[in-house]
Amino acid sequence: MYLLKKSNLFIISPAILLILVIFISGCNNKHEDLDLTMYKYRDTKDLVNFVYDASLILKKEGMKSLAYFRNNRKLFNTPDYYLYIYDMKGTNIYHAGMENLEGKNLWNVTDKNGKKITQLVLDALDDRNNPHAWVHYSWWEPGKFYSVPKSSCHFKVETPEGKELFVGAGINYPHEEQEFIRIIVDDAAQLIEDKGREALADISNPVSKYNYREVSVFAFHPDGELLISPAINSTFSQTNLLDCTDEVRHKPFANAIKKLESADGVWEVFMAKNRYQRNLIKKCLYVHKSIMAEKEIYVAAITDLPEPPY
Amino acid sequence: MANNAKHYEYSVNQVPPPGHLLMSSIQHVLLMIMSLSLPILFASQINGTAEFAASLIAFSMLAAGLGSIIQSVGLPFIGCGYLCPNLCGPSYFSVSLSAAWAGGLPLMRGMIIIAGLVEMAIAPIIQKLKKVFPTFIVGLVMAMVGVSVIKASITSFFGLSFRDDAIQSVDIFVGMFSLMVMVLANLWGKGFVKMYCLLIGMLSGWILALILIPEYWHNLAAIKDFPIFAMPAIGPEFKGITFDFKMILPFVVIGIGGSLKSFGNILVAQKISEPDLKEPNFTPIRKGLLADGFSTVLAGLLGGMAVDTSSSNIGLAGATKVVSRWISVGAGVIFVVLAFFPKFVTILSMMPKPVLGASIIFAGSFMICTGLQEVFSEEWNPRKTFVIGISLFFGLSTAFLPGLYARAPQLIQTFFTDPLPTTTIIAIVLNQIFNFDIVLGNLKNKN
Repeated sequence: MYLLKKSNLFIISPAILLILVIFISGCNNKHEDLDLTMYKYRDTKDLVNFVYDASLILKKEGMKSLAYFRNNRKLFNTPDYYLYIYDMKGTNIYHAGMENLEGKNLWNVTDKNGKKITQLVLDALDDRNNPHAWVHYSWWEPGKFYSVPKSSCHFKVETPEGKELFVGAGINYPHEEQEFIRIIVDDAAQLIEDKGREALADISNPVSKYNYREVSVFAFHPDGELLISPAINSTFSQTNLLDCTDEVRHKPFANAIKKLESADGVWEVFMAKNRYQRNLIKKCLYVHKSIMAEKEIYVAAITDLPEPPY
Repeated sequence: MANNAKHYEYSVNQVPPPGHLLMSSIQHVLLMIMSLSLPILFASQINGTAEFAASLIAFSMLAAGLGSIIQSVGLPFIGCGYLCPNLCGPSYFSVSLSAAWAGGLPLMRGMIIIAGLVEMAIAPIIQKLKKVFPTFIVGLVMAMVGVSVIKASITSFFGLSFRDDAIQSVDIFVGMFSLMVMVLANLWGKGFVKMYCLLIGMLSGWILALILIPEYWHNLAAIKDFPIFAMPAIGPEFKGITFDFKMILPFVVIGIGGSLKSFGNILVAQKISEPDLKEPNFTPIRKGLLADGFSTVLAGLLGGMAVDTSSSNIGLAGATKVVSRWISVGAGVIFVVLAFFPKFVTILSMMPKPVLGASIIFAGSFMICTGLQEVFSEEWNPRKTFVIGISLFFGLSTAFLPGLYARAPQLIQTFFTDPLPTTTIIAIVLNQIFNFDIVLGNLKNKN
């Protein structure tokens, strides 16, 4: 048997790499026009890429691509997420994970908390501030009996036949991306500017898009007085947010407001306790300016911050 | 030393020819660069500006570079005089962040200075504790230094940037490829290939990652706006040094933990540099710990992140048999110079994570095995079985079951932190208890 000399291996390896470089450099990157820089987690980026790829197929091949999706369900039903396609009236056209939903109209379907999922998706698709049309809700896994938190992204597609559809997929137990709260806080700030005080009821409605999982949008005056509470929707305790400190005596709200003198929206990190973890955990606050009754107010939300891997 | 020279490509006091000195120093710098992810992460977590991040990196590099030089150049009262470079200490990260949130960078600087002073104060005490460190406990400490890099190496090997994120097969492939090139170049290579096995593995892994993972190309493209040369800007954040009595305890605990880790590192450096020593020579260890503490103080004064001795670099020295301390000095000089060239630093810090992980696994393997060989190098007895066994059970449990210790009483939480300090403290205490009858017998015989 012919054996390579060990020293030859070190000469051959770079040559193989060079060939690979030439081969790969000739390949196109189909995700080049997709901006994913706002996401921290790979899981999130992978999901958006997954849906985007499917949307490209649908856009190019049109309705005949449905046969391809149906014949290759396994490709579009991974352990982490599955693909679905709806028309703009809420009728399911294709579902890689729950075949029995195909042909049904889910316009009025709600999750266990009462969120009208399909209607939220259609609103998100029209929201320019939400480029990948994120929607957060509770769902269940095919064949299982318990609910799971879910975040889904969507792309609107116009097929060559002129049909408007949307394609999407969601991930169970999603990571809390900072981008998710940026979207809802900016939207809430805009809603207040458009509708005034009336918007506060919409924002504090638990089945609105402004509330999901542990996240809820809240609002306050520049002096720290609450308009919508971040914790308890009650007036029995009047908290002044500017006086609030975190676990290391840092004042996140006071600091954020100082920074807002030179920006419309700011991020502020703070530390919180979690009794199941030895160290304090990091959370972040996003605050955006808004105008209500010609006075400046602040709209905000709090989310987890990605932790280092070890 | 003449005898030592047989074991090595370059022994501890030998000055390699300029070309080899430069290449070996670069090889070590590539390993040290990985710790720069800490100031980058730190700046992002306290919402620092890009200018703040650049200055923090530069000051941390200056502290680590100067620390490496002081540690190895062979000064009369300070520095161990072995190949033992410094880098940003991961164990300081969490407490530094807490200090920065509570009182900004001035408080972080003040508390880092305190931790450094604690390390300096421990240095002469460790020399006095010579008797509590028999050979098998020294070996255990050395092995635990290797164990302590497992988390960092494995998460990097799998390409993870954040906890619980997805692992991609392509990252595992790049990491495996890089690791195999390093190991095979070390096992089969001779001369140049063996000496620079890590460099060859890193570069080939990096090229493969650029080919297979477009993300790395995109990252590299983003650095075109970085300046080639820049002086670190001393912004308002870097002015002043403050202290807070309430933060002293966590920083003292971290200072003690850092000393124990550096103790293990310097022990390994000594073992690989002077293998003929029958028992540890505590004079260079004391001087090394003093240098380690001094470098930490220096980091606080400069406005960088706390520095620590690098286990991975010592492992690399052992694996390549290139243990010249002048390489550590060279790496320190390069680190200091690079602090003023942000573009190069950014490029180097973009080394793919799986490649970095492979490098730490490569170096860490050596640390673990050298330690285990030392543990079992002398005659064994049941007392040692229980000292090693029990300390490993509890020491490793801090890594396996971190959530368990989050609910433990405060005293337990203070001492059961990481595998290295926990195992060391328990082993020392148990060794004294289990040998109490012998000590008592010796005393009786004396009387």
